[in-house]
Amino acid sequence: MNSLVDYYNNGMVIYAEPESDADPRGPDDPRRSRRWWLWIAVPGAVLVLAVMAFAILEPIQVLPRMRVGPGYSLVDQSGASFTSEDVRGDVVLYSFGYADCDDRCDGMETTIRDVQSRLGEVDLGDVDVRFVTVTLQPDSDSPEILASHAESVGADGNSWRYVTGEPSHVDNVLRSGFRVWHQQRDDGSFAFDPTLVLVDGWGVIRGEYRYQTLASDADKIVRHLGILGEELRNAKGAASIAYEAAHFFLCYP
Amino acid sequence: MSTRTRLGIGVGVAAVAVVAAVWFLVLPRLQPHVFYGQVIQSGSPAPSVELVGPGGAPVALTDFEDQVVVMYFGYTFCPDVCPITLAKLDRARTMLGEDAEHVQVVMITVDPERDTVEKLEKYTANFDPSFIGLTGDIEDIDRIATTYGVYYAAAETDSAAGYLVDHTSTVLVVDRSGELKLIIPFDATDEQVAADLAYLLG
Repeated sequence: MNSLVDYYNNGMVIYAEPESDADPRGPDDPRRSRRWWLWIAVPGAVLVLAVMAFAILEPIQVLPRMRVGPGYSLVDQSGASFTSEDVRGDVVLYSFGYADCDDRCDGMETTIRDVQSRLGEVDLGDVDVRFVTVTLQPDSDSPEILASHAESVGADGNSWRYVTGEPSHVDNVLRSGFRVWHQQRDDGSFAFDPTLVLVDGWGVIRGEYRYQTLASDADKIVRHLGILGEELRNAKGAASIAYEAAHFFLCYP
Repeated sequence: MSTRTRLGIGVGVAAVAVVAAVWFLVLPRLQPHVFYGQVIQSGSPAPSVELVGPGGAPVALTDFEDQVVVMYFGYTFCPDVCPITLAKLDRARTMLGEDAEHVQVVMITVDPERDTVEKLEKYTANFDPSFIGLTGDIEDIDRIATTYGVYYAAAETDSAAGYLVDHTSTVLVVDRSGELKLIIPFDATDEQVAADLAYLLG
């Protein structure tokens, strides 16, 4: 069959269509190399777009695994031993105060009651949510004093406990563990910033709320409990890779 | 058989070979490692550890530059959990082959009253000569254990040992950049511990 080469060589052509199964592009044809690169460029572009979409649209939200929470051996308002191992596997919202505290603690306690009353809005599967208030004043906050205070604010001693302990150990728990700054004034009261700390079942800190707590702060904590619950329920098997990717890309609320 | 047919068969065989190579050789390497332990993303240096080590020499966490430090809080009178854990760490470390030299296992005692430097040296050498035991003042031990999420409390028993010490049984791993990176639970197998350590070693 004649080709364009014949035409140019012989000055004549009857039918110039190339053979149907032959690629008219030679090995050095620029069109061939362009097409070869498409096999890399297109999947690469799709991958980059997918990563950007994952990072920007945040289809999976997670709470950061900030640092390990403290281990402790304390006593609760009933005088019973209470340790960090007793709440392993539970989600715990820690708070800090003392029996003679002023309205800074009132706001924090209101927030805790609000969160407690709204736990029905979140699904953490079979994981319990516990509330633990650590005293800033272990020298004088005995279990009896804490029991009286706990009763006045509605802490039932099971889902919400007030805890105290040996002063130097409590100090380690507060300063080194939760990094809660506090300082006793001459009149016996404490200078401190009301703080709430959310810890997961591994004992890892997942949220810190360091501001003057108001009842409305419960909205944020309840939302974060919902995000934690979704991760606890869904981050299993292959989905755990997607959740690890969310942690990697810092898809934090 | 025509040239075209032979070409088609050749391309088909090559395509199958490429797919098989990608499936069996490339994809397993691209699959992200899923840690058995819990990953922590602190992004800041692990809490400081400054205690007394072998020979009574001071030992700090910063001494283990470019090492993965595997920390365990236990004590030499520990009847079961500690020896099980240390033996597991020894086996996991052995699985790492030559990379094991970049892994330092450290046991910090939660019973500094009874665990002297000499006793710790003998105890840790029973598992692996490279393991080291650390002790110190009870105040320092309490601060370090608390900060690393470890609870401990003495428990009176009728045993000849006098008393036991209840304590958290997890293993904590500090990566080569000095960040607390992983909490490994007691139920992890030798292979799971080795896989997590191997990934941290890179």
